[in-house]
Amino acid sequence: MSDDGPVSDNADPVGRDRRSAESVEPLAEVIAAELFARISVRDRLDTVEDAHGVAELIADAVLDRFVVSPRPAERGDRHVARAHPADADVILDVQDLSVAYGAKTAVDGVSLRIARGEIFGLLGPNGAGKTSTLSAIEGLIKPRSGTVLLDGVDIRRHPSQAKAKLGVQLQATSFQSQLTIKQIVRLYAGLYGVALSDAEISAGLQEIGLQEEASKPFKQLSGGQQQRLSLYVAVMHRPALLLLDEPTAGLDPQSRRQLWTRIESIRQAGGSIILTTHSMEEAEAVCDRVAIIDHGTLLTTETPKDLIEKHKDDPEVRKLAHGEVTLEDVFIGLTGSAIRE
Amino acid sequence: MSSPRPSPAPPLQLVLTSLLRADFTVFLKNRRGLLLSMILPLFILITTNSSTSTHNFGGALFVIGLAIAYGLLSASILGYALTVARDRDQGVFQRLRVTPAPTWTIMTSRLAMQGFANLLITLVVVVVGSRLHHLSLSAGTYGLVLLVSILGGAVFLSIGQALVGLVRSADSVNAASRVLTIGLILLGTFGQSGTLGPTWESIARWTPVGAVMTLFAAVLNLSSWGTHDSLDLLACGGYIVVFASIGIRWFQWDAR
Repeated sequence: MSDDGPVSDNADPVGRDRRSAESVEPLAEVIAAELFARISVRDRLDTVEDAHGVAELIADAVLDRFVVSPRPAERGDRHVARAHPADADVILDVQDLSVAYGAKTAVDGVSLRIARGEIFGLLGPNGAGKTSTLSAIEGLIKPRSGTVLLDGVDIRRHPSQAKAKLGVQLQATSFQSQLTIKQIVRLYAGLYGVALSDAEISAGLQEIGLQEEASKPFKQLSGGQQQRLSLYVAVMHRPALLLLDEPTAGLDPQSRRQLWTRIESIRQAGGSIILTTHSMEEAEAVCDRVAIIDHGTLLTTETPKDLIEKHKDDPEVRKLAHGEVTLEDVFIGLTGSAIRE
Repeated sequence: MSSPRPSPAPPLQLVLTSLLRADFTVFLKNRRGLLLSMILPLFILITTNSSTSTHNFGGALFVIGLAIAYGLLSASILGYALTVARDRDQGVFQRLRVTPAPTWTIMTSRLAMQGFANLLITLVVVVVGSRLHHLSLSAGTYGLVLLVSILGGAVFLSIGQALVGLVRSADSVNAASRVLTIGLILLGTFGQSGTLGPTWESIARWTPVGAVMTLFAAVLNLSSWGTHDSLDLLACGGYIVVFASIGIRWFQWDAR
């Protein structure tokens, strides 16, 4: 099942030439009317035609930003990101993905498209199929059916090429217990084809506050330090897409805040991120779009704001809400309040 | 989306070098394990140094063969299989598998390092054994012994691989590998010496330990090579094919 339907013509990168009359005009008219209706603007514009000219410029800028060539969204603009990324912007294209363990179907026909510079949250209760979906994207498990294209490269057909574009932080990451932090960094730099000198490794460890721990084994690091190293290893090759499986689980607030700062900086640099989390507050705060998965099926894909807007009047959601409807209310409303295994 | 575009994957040589370097580092840090693998073979060489004991095991060459076989057995099953099971349990393999490194390079690097450890064990046991039993070995014989060490090591490594293929959790692999090692050692020692009677002697003769031990004894004295030794060579090949197939077919990278 997919919520990601075909991308509209306007979203096509070659649609820039043909959109002027078709898509800018109606949008411009709406904006112009809005502008002219406001006294402060009317004071400075003589006619509605003047307002229309300004509106056209605004509409053009809006389409430029959110349809044709979206830049990494600014923090405040995040929730107005498009529901369906355009083809040229798609960094991850998952189509009709199904994963089964014997007779048990863990993921059933999931389709997703993630845009460049987007933070995408995959939410679901325990056992909903989040980790199985990520594992199939990472190439760790062979899906029963479906395709996973990473920047156009099929992960099943060209695993090494696809994985070179991918950074992964697994839910339970472990490195060889006998290796020191510096040796781990050297190993993974080699595996990702990154040439790092001793000085560069030291500088990298200094950047993540692990310079003092360079000669310690991984197991001697605290949870927050382990998380920092895992993230550092996951992004050392500047991946186009970063997969984070419950990245903040077990972290204290300081480490969590630091992690989000790093994740935000990765996105600012143009990287895309797909993450799973059980924290709806975090998902609401950091994700451009979220998908809710349950029993292996994708229930919905929206921006957090749109998702809340769409379901805020559902009787089930209203019953759960204490005051303003939150993403958690919608999530429980859609997936049920029964505790999962 | 456009058709698949090739993207630069890291060069295979760099991937293999990085894995081998890391596995060699682990090997150096685990040198205590290597020394422990040598204790049993050296103990056998020392305790069978009397003419009666040596005779019971079919002569000095068989004693040295038995000692090497035990060294390879404990290093491959208690060493390799346990390390693989533990790393799998901790998610080390999954972390490696999400990198561009092809999965075969991960296992090849591990096996190469274990093969190197097997060669070291063989060399030490042969040098000490030939000294204790007053044997003079040529350079060619040493070369043959090292070749058989690769073959014998492959027999026990394939058994270790089958073990981690069939048994999922590290704790279960730990228990099963100890039972298997002790069983094979007892069968080799008592069966081969004839203590348990002719039936067990025949069985012990064709066990992996018996076949590898006989091969080592045969190459230490190549002039006595016979049909039985050729059959042992075939048996070793058969063991490798069967156990490696099981180990590869049922091996899971994830312990869950």
